Amino acid sequence: MSKPLIVGAVAYTPNVVTIWEGMRDYFAGGPAEMDFVLFSNYGRQVDALQAGMIDLAWNTNLAWVRTVGQTEGACRALAMRDTDTVFQTVFVARTGSNFESLESLRGKRLALGSQDSAQAAILPVHFLSQAGLDADAVELLRINSDVGKHGDTGRSELDALRAVLDDRADAAALGINTWEAIGRDELMPGAFESFWESPTYSHCNFTALPSLSEDRVQPWLDQLLAMDWENPEHRPILEMEGLKKWVAPQLDGYVSLFDAVAEQGISIRW
Amino acid sequence: MVNRGWLLDLVGRTAAVANGATVSVELGEGDPNIQADTVAAWCSRTGNTLVGVRDNIATVRRGPAHDAMAELPADQVPGTRLWMYTNFDCNLACDYCCVRSSPQSERRALGIDRIRQLASEAVQAGVSELLLTGGEPFLLPDIDKVVAVCTAVLPTTLLTNGMLFKGRRLEALQRMDRERLTLQISLDSATPEVHDSHRGRGSWARAVAGMRLAIAEGFRVKVAATLAPEHSDQRLPFHAFLDSLGIARQDQVIRALAHRGVAESGLELTLESLIPEVTITADGVYWHPVSADHDDQLVTADIFPLAEAIGEVQRRFTEQRAYASAAAQWFPCS
Repeated sequence: MSKPLIVGAVAYTPNVVTIWEGMRDYFAGGPAEMDFVLFSNYGRQVDALQAGMIDLAWNTNLAWVRTVGQTEGACRALAMRDTDTVFQTVFVARTGSNFESLESLRGKRLALGSQDSAQAAILPVHFLSQAGLDADAVELLRINSDVGKHGDTGRSELDALRAVLDDRADAAALGINTWEAIGRDELMPGAFESFWESPTYSHCNFTALPSLSEDRVQPWLDQLLAMDWENPEHRPILEMEGLKKWVAPQLDGYVSLFDAVAEQGISIRW
Repeated sequence: MVNRGWLLDLVGRTAAVANGATVSVELGEGDPNIQADTVAAWCSRTGNTLVGVRDNIATVRRGPAHDAMAELPADQVPGTRLWMYTNFDCNLACDYCCVRSSPQSERRALGIDRIRQLASEAVQAGVSELLLTGGEPFLLPDIDKVVAVCTAVLPTTLLTNGMLFKGRRLEALQRMDRERLTLQISLDSATPEVHDSHRGRGSWARAVAGMRLAIAEGFRVKVAATLAPEHSDQRLPFHAFLDSLGIARQDQVIRALAHRGVAESGLELTLESLIPEVTITADGVYWHPVSADHDDQLVTADIFPLAEAIGEVQRRFTEQRAYASAAAQWFPCS
């Protein structure tokens, strides 16, 4: 039996421990056992990947873009969740605002999540730019309540919604997962409505460096992709991690974020 | 417009805790029923569990509901065993009796008609064992008929002090179904001192004689002792004595003294600390036999239909466990 693959993940909630213990148990006894190391933020995690402390990093999309930058494209993505291939940013406003498109934000106040949040800060600014709304066209209210956890910025996204409720902003940009978590516009009638949803883009992936040999990667990847939603032992782990199926990475889905990072001059390092 | 910020608080706080942990969020202004419905809808949609809404505070457990019933051993699931208080009068006046029985107590008999109906409904309701207790059931002139309607449908245990097996009562005993009936006789110690100090002089000798007689008559006999903490040294001699009588170890039950009825001390037993055992008396359905004379554990005065009564006990148990678990989360040691 070869030594276990070490996967790094960021501990953004206590449930991360349960998730990765479940993953470790799933791989136990198979051809490619794994263990995990938890980090407090993605910067530390990517440093550890490059230092060889971990073999794989469960990276957000910004961490992936930065790892690509830091390794000059040598890293590779192994797999992602089905839900990572169809991530979206949603723009919402108070019900009755009559916002119809991003153009409706011209001259208005937009609340954004933490500055390193791809879905709630970096990509929203990119989408505004693509719609012809430059830095002076929209007043941005940045709410940096969970910097460092840029894939998991639910707290700052909820704070952005509070800003809209409190009339400190006219609209907010948030990830589709947060929009789903509050029940879209169905559980809070009279509170919010969405007026623009972005094209889909890719979110998290397992990132490896070239130093990880193929004979260690492939058995692990085969076992990962064999996780089955219909298997009652696998399902609780999949439910907690928010997917029904592990899939091959869709790298085209990162193009918009690469463009956004370049446009906004965001450093490839933390 | 109604302030809806509380739902954002709920989402954020639930996301920040581990599965199984609970959060409590104060709801904002507005119609409490609508808000409670909103919390329930959110829980349903997100896979979390609404523990409850009280005093405008919603308590939610992250993740799916604990099935309190499923966590119990099969024989402890409420409604698996059905206790029936046949009567409350007794030939003894034990100083720790949990239901205050004595020769002066009113009979408050459940009556054979209701017992017959309960036994009949019990099978359909999922009950697998009937237990008859009192008072002293052998004071009833028709105890053999009462037992017969029970043993006709399910295995039955009859609790008695074993002191009245003479004359017509012995004849009644002899008419009972030895294959379906277990006698549970109360005996508190291996020697008369402790037993008699609680139950009256001479009671130990008569109880032991009753046990020997029942065994000789071919009945399975269980023995149940109520042991106060100061008599815990009686445990080993007690087992040795019962072994000598031929009582199987699994039929030697030692239970703690409960602070109920006329007992001046003992374990405090509350709804929260007791796994319910559905108990029927002439006055209604109680949480547990140890509290069958206490209004705080009266579940409902409606005995029938039995399945609904059992369902109500199970519902309250599930709800109570959910809140107890939430309370445990609210007061961590630190």
